[in-house]
Amino acid sequence: MTAFRAVVLEHFRRPRNRGAVEGATGEAEGANPLCGDRIRVQVRVDGERVAAAGFTADACAVCIAAASLLTERVTGRPVAEARALSVDALHEALEGEPPPGRKRCVALPLDTLQRALSTSTGASG
Amino acid sequence: MNGLLHTVGTDLEKEKAVVVATLVAATGSSSKKVGARMYVGASGRILGGVTIGGCVDAQVVEASDALVAEGGRKLLSISLDDDEAWEIGLTCGGTVEVLIERAVPSDPNDPVVRSHREAAERLAAGEPAELTTALGDGRTFVDHIAPPTTLLIVGAGQIAMSLTRLARELEMRTVVIDGRERYATRERFPDADEVRVGMPSEIVASYSLAKGTAVILVAHDYKYELPVLRNLIRSDVGYLGMLGSRKRGAAVRALLRDEGFSDEELARVRTPIGLDIGGKAPAEVALSILAEVVAVRSGKAT
Repeated sequence: MTAFRAVVLEHFRRPRNRGAVEGATGEAEGANPLCGDRIRVQVRVDGERVAAAGFTADACAVCIAAASLLTERVTGRPVAEARALSVDALHEALEGEPPPGRKRCVALPLDTLQRALSTSTGASG
Repeated sequence: MNGLLHTVGTDLEKEKAVVVATLVAATGSSSKKVGARMYVGASGRILGGVTIGGCVDAQVVEASDALVAEGGRKLLSISLDDDEAWEIGLTCGGTVEVLIERAVPSDPNDPVVRSHREAAERLAAGEPAELTTALGDGRTFVDHIAPPTTLLIVGAGQIAMSLTRLARELEMRTVVIDGRERYATRERFPDADEVRVGMPSEIVASYSLAKGTAVILVAHDYKYELPVLRNLIRSDVGYLGMLGSRKRGAAVRALLRDEGFSDEELARVRTPIGLDIGGKAPAEVALSILAEVVAVRSGKAT
């Protein structure tokens, strides 16, 4: 088993930060229109930091693993750092890249997180 | 023929008068359940039936034709000898009693129209309804009508399209659910009562997950199956089926078992879905699924 697959399965079976965020200040929902992945990301921004991030998803293993890793990575970090996260950084966290047809499964949680941060009432900048 | 209640407010409104015929009693082995209805319009239009067909319905139509002109109500008692009984499905003869009542669909205060509309409204809201009618001889006929089965269909593919078409004929309500806007469209599902786009597990959970609800997973995609099943396995839905082979079903159960669901709970998920009628085409699969839903509802499938 590749490292990528091992990471994906681990986070798919035991996703971190799955569920609603109490006192969320921002939220966004996103979908991959053809494969049907659907995800909602919620954040609670406190000052300049992401105090909490969570997600709810009816999505594939890659998408859920990416959301799990992503929310783990941004929790407690500065909003500016979360906004600067790239798909490449997520690939690194996943210890590999998905096949070409599945790259949008990684991009979806990131895009949804960025929109959630933009809608956050506690967002700065 | 509970669904014909709805026609009181639609097609039959075009009629000046309608006779509502209700099977209120049957001895012997009736081919239809007590409560079956037939509507005979002043124009000659006939909807429904109080038996499977043949002599009894013909006699009721004849009596209704007279009543639609004269007005009022009448309790018909129709005896059947064995030959006739065989012809129409009453295998051991007997007697049927049919109440015929004249109603004016355009009159909202007509007592028959009003009671049917009230019942239709309750059924449309997913609640049981009751029609109470004095038979005129000291007896009262009380018809307890269960709400129609609601099918929550997850996955807006070809099998779902066939399901909505066939379910309409079976007088079942259908809700098609998918996360994909291009699939879950009104154009693809003209016969569905509702078409919903969003997070399938959340949409499913927003409905009454009671015995009268059947959940049919035909997405054939674990991304919807797992979250929907997590929300449903411990609910009271009357039917829970998932498209897929035994092997695939076992894999999904194994994943959910790891999350703490018991074997007994997981056994509720019917996979492979549907009765085995040997068909592979989408409409054939849909037919087998609906056959199983009916069989479970009527206690003929374990």
